[in-house]
Amino acid sequence: MTLAALDLTDASAAGQLIGFGLTRGARPVEGSDYRNLLDRYRTDLRFKDTVDTFAEGLGLEVLGTPRTGLVLAPEPTGPFATRLADLKTAMDAEEKLVFGLILVAVAAYAYPNEVDLDDPDTKLVDVVKLDDFIRGAISGLRAIDAPDVSNGERARTAADVYADMPSLIPTPHGRRKQGCTLRAIEIVCGWLVDQGAAREAKTLGPDTFQLTDRFRLLVADSAGSEALEVLRTARRTEVTA
Amino acid sequence: MAENEDGGGAGLPPLVSPAADATARGRWRALVLTDPIHKLVRNAAHAGVDDDVYDLRQLAMAAVDLAVASMGFAREALLEEVVDALAVLAARMQSGEEHAPRWRDVAQLVIKGLLNDAHEQRRFSYTFADLTDPGATRFDTYSFRLLSLRDTEYGPVLIASDQAVMLFLDGLDVDIEDAEAALAHVLQRQLDDERFDAAVRTATMAERTSLGMSAMLTDLLDATSRDVRSHDWLVDVPDRLGRARKHVAGRIAEEDKTLEHVQNGLDGDVSPAVRVASGQIVDLLRRAKRIHLDLHDRLVGARDVFLTAQVRQRLARRRRLRLLAIGEELFTPILALPAEPATAVVETFADRSLGVRVPRLARFDDIVDLLWAPPRQREVAEPDVEDPGDEDPTEDIQRYPEAVLRTARDVLALTRTAPLRLSALLDAAAAVDPSVVDGAVDDVVELVLLSALWAFAPDISGDDEEQAGEVDLLASGLAAGDDGTALNHPLASGADLLVTADSPASPAGELAAALSSEGGRR
Repeated sequence: MTLAALDLTDASAAGQLIGFGLTRGARPVEGSDYRNLLDRYRTDLRFKDTVDTFAEGLGLEVLGTPRTGLVLAPEPTGPFATRLADLKTAMDAEEKLVFGLILVAVAAYAYPNEVDLDDPDTKLVDVVKLDDFIRGAISGLRAIDAPDVSNGERARTAADVYADMPSLIPTPHGRRKQGCTLRAIEIVCGWLVDQGAAREAKTLGPDTFQLTDRFRLLVADSAGSEALEVLRTARRTEVTA
Repeated sequence: MAENEDGGGAGLPPLVSPAADATARGRWRALVLTDPIHKLVRNAAHAGVDDDVYDLRQLAMAAVDLAVASMGFAREALLEEVVDALAVLAARMQSGEEHAPRWRDVAQLVIKGLLNDAHEQRRFSYTFADLTDPGATRFDTYSFRLLSLRDTEYGPVLIASDQAVMLFLDGLDVDIEDAEAALAHVLQRQLDDERFDAAVRTATMAERTSLGMSAMLTDLLDATSRDVRSHDWLVDVPDRLGRARKHVAGRIAEEDKTLEHVQNGLDGDVSPAVRVASGQIVDLLRRAKRIHLDLHDRLVGARDVFLTAQVRQRLARRRRLRLLAIGEELFTPILALPAEPATAVVETFADRSLGVRVPRLARFDDIVDLLWAPPRQREVAEPDVEDPGDEDPTEDIQRYPEAVLRTARDVLALTRTAPLRLSALLDAAAAVDPSVVDGAVDDVVELVLLSALWAFAPDISGDDEEQAGEVDLLASGLAAGDDGTALNHPLASGADLLVTADSPASPAGELAAALSSEGGRR
């Protein structure tokens, strides 16, 4: 296949589509420019290549085109990357672990198996239910993995850190105070909403959030495999150490 | 069961007829489809929703109806619309404003039940024991959803599954295309036999069936244009699309014929009853035809999408293997990991799952604002705002009543004739007629005491609002001095101040006007 020179109007259109993908709140409703470009991306292979290449140059990767629009994943070193550390200043090590753990738990709760990652259904996350889910997983783990007495003092595991944090510390106003896991889950859900990875689902009650296709694709095609890789390395060093 | 038949020995005929056995699976499925709704009714009892008050089964049916009916058209039913509609129905079941907060709860409960929220919105799963083979019993799992939530460009919408469509069509597990064709035949016969009442019923069912079929195909079409990976592209999808196109085209032609038939009948001399029934049939048929036309348009368009998608599928390989099970392979192992390596894993996950963030250039104004602003304490909950209540000043409970003010003023006016000791003023205040101040003698005493203190040492820091208002106004014409006499009074102790009025005109005169217009707080 010989490649003809790139049409400059295509370059402009590709840039426009990526711009829509980066804009929070841009929705490809019927008849909008965004929708037309998205349809073109879905059907016109050449345009798709142009957009993909353009995005690559910006440090982005197109993960998919669900109905809500173009889903982009940033290169971790690129200008569009989001880091956990950017979202909250002055996090200590334990806080970072708890927040990160909650994010993994959200994914595990919503998409426990491979098939769930391909399922376009939107999952709901409830703050209290998620805390129950994490604590349930921790007690399940303890039931199998009784503390190793021979080893003397056992290193504090991620499960210990989470379990040691109280579930709820109420404020005088009946809200959740900093330092409890329910508040931490609330904060993480707030981040997800800010990042367009979730929406508040007030229609179905307070504390209820609805995950978006963006989060599903990011977990499926980017975060999951990378985290698994780090996990494998960590376990390997643990075994050899 | 089969062994029982063989070994029963009594020569009894088998209890289960072969015909019943052959249809067992179909009937079992029809039975199981309604089970999630029974479950949600049972769970509702735990949530304090009384099944006798709110007909939850009917609400669930209404939710399915709404979802199925809107899938045939351009936009699916928004979650919010469905919850609102159910709340309206709930309101009719238990009317009265005092029940209003419950209506939405009930609607939420029904929707969550249909989404299987109790089990992380997984599929409903049931096990069927297949007994057709006498030698062995096989267990099959039948999993299905009723409603599911999808994120769309319009917001979250509710999608009805094929099983929900079955439920919508009287719970029968039938081939929907066959059902449509069969209903058309029945309708034709009823029209020929001039059984118009029956024909109206059949036409209604035919319209519902069209809606159901449209809903099923809409989902397939949506999946077609959205994601190639989730469907069997080689056989299943093209097959179904082809069949659907043929079927829909056939139905449109048939509907035209039936419509013409009914309308021709109307031209002759007919009774009003027949005219009404025919009118209804025409309406229903027109609606069904519109659904079919709409569907046909989309099916024709889907062919192109399908072809390009096929090409794309051949060219674009899936980039990575998707992680197997996040729960088992990632989440659980992380929990067991020591804190430090676990942090590294979750941080990697977090950095990649949070998506893009568009860098914004820091603007000078923002930075200056940031520096000026006091440190933000985000985690402290906002204080509950007190309801200020009515603005009517006479009703302000924080304010001294008018009668108390007037009486205190009269007491303080005594100083105009001669300087008085605080103890004397307090006695005078304590001696006022309780009926004049509505029993609030203590308030008069307090006001007099505060005024004297204010006259001695005005609180100019201004941050204590309790002192402001009436007190400083009353005290503004007064001066108080401490000449060393000790105060020995049951109400106060300290120095027995000598209170004098600055000018004979104060404090009553013009201050009275100022007081009445400027009601301060205690």
